[in-house]
Amino acid sequence: METNKKTARFFSKPLMGQTIKANWGLCLAILLIMILLGNVMNYAMSMMATEKSDVDVTEYQENFYSYLGALATYDTMTQQELSYDDFVNGNNEAAYETAFEMLNAQADMDLSTDGFRQSIDGLSQSDISLDKYVKQFEYVYALNQSEGVFDKEELTISEMLTVTLDMMGVSSDMVEKMSEMNPASMMNQMYYTAMGLLPIFILIVILANSLIANQVDRGSMAYVLSTPTKRSAVAITQMVFMIVVPFLMVAIVCATRVGTSLLFYDEVNVPGIIALFGGMYILVEAVCALCFMGSCLFSQSKKSMAFGGGLAVWFFLASMIGLFGSENMVNTGMGVEELSVFNKLTLVGLYDVDSLSTIGTGNVDTTFVWKLLVLIAVAIVCYTVGAVRFSKKDLPL
Amino acid sequence: MNDVIIQTTGLTKDYGKCRGIFDINLEIHRGEVFGFIGTNGSGKTTTIRNMMGFIRPDRGNSVINGLDSWNSSADIMKNVSYVPGEIAFPALKTGTEFLKSQAKYLGVTDFKYMNHVIELLQLDPTANLKRMSKGMKQKTAIVAALMGEKEILVLDEPTTGLDPLMRESFLELIREEKQKGHTIFMSSHIFEEIEAVCDRVSMIKNGHIIDTTSLYDLRHPSTKNFIIEFKQKEDQEQFIENRLFAITCTEINTCTVQCSVDQLDALFNILKNYQITNLREIHLSLQQQFMRAYKEGIAHNGNK
Repeated sequence: METNKKTARFFSKPLMGQTIKANWGLCLAILLIMILLGNVMNYAMSMMATEKSDVDVTEYQENFYSYLGALATYDTMTQQELSYDDFVNGNNEAAYETAFEMLNAQADMDLSTDGFRQSIDGLSQSDISLDKYVKQFEYVYALNQSEGVFDKEELTISEMLTVTLDMMGVSSDMVEKMSEMNPASMMNQMYYTAMGLLPIFILIVILANSLIANQVDRGSMAYVLSTPTKRSAVAITQMVFMIVVPFLMVAIVCATRVGTSLLFYDEVNVPGIIALFGGMYILVEAVCALCFMGSCLFSQSKKSMAFGGGLAVWFFLASMIGLFGSENMVNTGMGVEELSVFNKLTLVGLYDVDSLSTIGTGNVDTTFVWKLLVLIAVAIVCYTVGAVRFSKKDLPL
Repeated sequence: MNDVIIQTTGLTKDYGKCRGIFDINLEIHRGEVFGFIGTNGSGKTTTIRNMMGFIRPDRGNSVINGLDSWNSSADIMKNVSYVPGEIAFPALKTGTEFLKSQAKYLGVTDFKYMNHVIELLQLDPTANLKRMSKGMKQKTAIVAALMGEKEILVLDEPTTGLDPLMRESFLELIREEKQKGHTIFMSSHIFEEIEAVCDRVSMIKNGHIIDTTSLYDLRHPSTKNFIIEFKQKEDQEQFIENRLFAITCTEINTCTVQCSVDQLDALFNILKNYQITNLREIHLSLQQQFMRAYKEGIAHNGNK
């Protein structure tokens, strides 16, 4: 009795159903981890951004210091004890008014209690407490009172700081760079090239192994191949799964990330985020293809696992180490520039987060284009080699 | 020659160190139940893998239904069901789920026959696939293969793990398949079951076919051997003098008689005149035949 079932040459629906049934749980778990990681990271970054407000307080600081200076002169002149603390307590406002009037008359200045209060309010917009400003003023005032013993030069706070740091063996250049450091870019780099990749790498390694090599090794592939299903259909079906599933996962994570970004920030570069996740998907596919190839080349599950898992772990480790060679890390003193060599030894290095994140901004840096093209080429070659090899090799079924 | 369903010519797969199969020539005809016997590691599974197109032969080829096994294995599978020797199921939950997915691969929509097989084997397919015992797994695999009702069945040690009752039910199934005119190729190392259902048997040892016999010959030999025990010694002595048959004395009162099937009547006519306490036919079982061939095989290939 001949069944009228056609031979599956390129795609096998039942196999796809079977693959989905066997793996959806794992995919879902990894997806949840990725969503959690991405969005908590996003939240942390948004907190960091609000903490370091960019309000310009220099003008208020100048005003504040001139008021304090005036009060200091007045105190020494009249043997009184007027101070910022005292002023804020507000029991003695009349004394300040007279003091400011007197100073105005003496030195042709425009001081007032209101002006003082304004400068205080303005300065308190910064995250640094006013006590710190008062303390710093003490130093500035004290240094202004004197000059260098030998060179008769003016003494300044910044010079003192530089000298002190040099004595402690800390390069003052570094401190300067540190203040210029962009924590958001560093966090981005960390998320997109290391932490965000780890869960999906784990998934890929497990999936690639279980889709081909494990089934060949255990022998359950026999039930598929003893039906009118060509090997090429098996390879292509599993390939489609490995292309579509990471895409869906990255897309969902990307969507939630855009969503939470819109919640946390006032201004969101949506194309930039999409570009970053798009790049991540291409990188993930390149690694996917490598693991898939390993799975097709080896008939033993442990060998395929060692190949795919080894490569994925290496990529992850190298990109972690490479992170310590990145500009940001070197600037903070936590990295050494020589370590950036590791970025050239991993596929993750071809995923250029910095240049990708310029998409959606005014000046787009296009160095990411050729790097992503290399990744795409790797993916295509590896998928092809794997599928062809699987169709031609001996299977112990 | 049109009724040759499976044919291998000079099939060779060398794994080195005398392992593998060498120059296997088999011909299985339509409607035949063909047994394939050999010790563990003698090359049964390798031969079957070659026939199913899972591995590429080094030399020679295997043809099923006129199609080359390696090049058009997927097309061959339209007419072939396979029970693998090593049972490992896909990562699915229950037996039912597995059978359903298998039905989709095969394009089976009519589950009447499948249910018949399940009933016959007393299988409970709702059990968890991973927790199934060996016998349960084996039954599930048999059901999965048989439900396609294909013309050709290739079974790699299909009865391992089955209890004797189940084995009997399975053999019943094979007879049913045979009645339908399906061709069955089964490997085994259990002589009884091969003897019970097969038409022809090949024996393989160290990758070489050492003997191919028709079980019809075994069941209907042209000469029969009897052991006859007489009551009295004089009777025996008198009987020996008979020149019609080849007679050898074994012990007192007892002798062995070899006689062709045509002579049976004459033999019993003569025996009427004696007082006989015991008459027994020496039945040459497949196992004995195998042992003999096996020893010859050692003698032939012993130095290989």
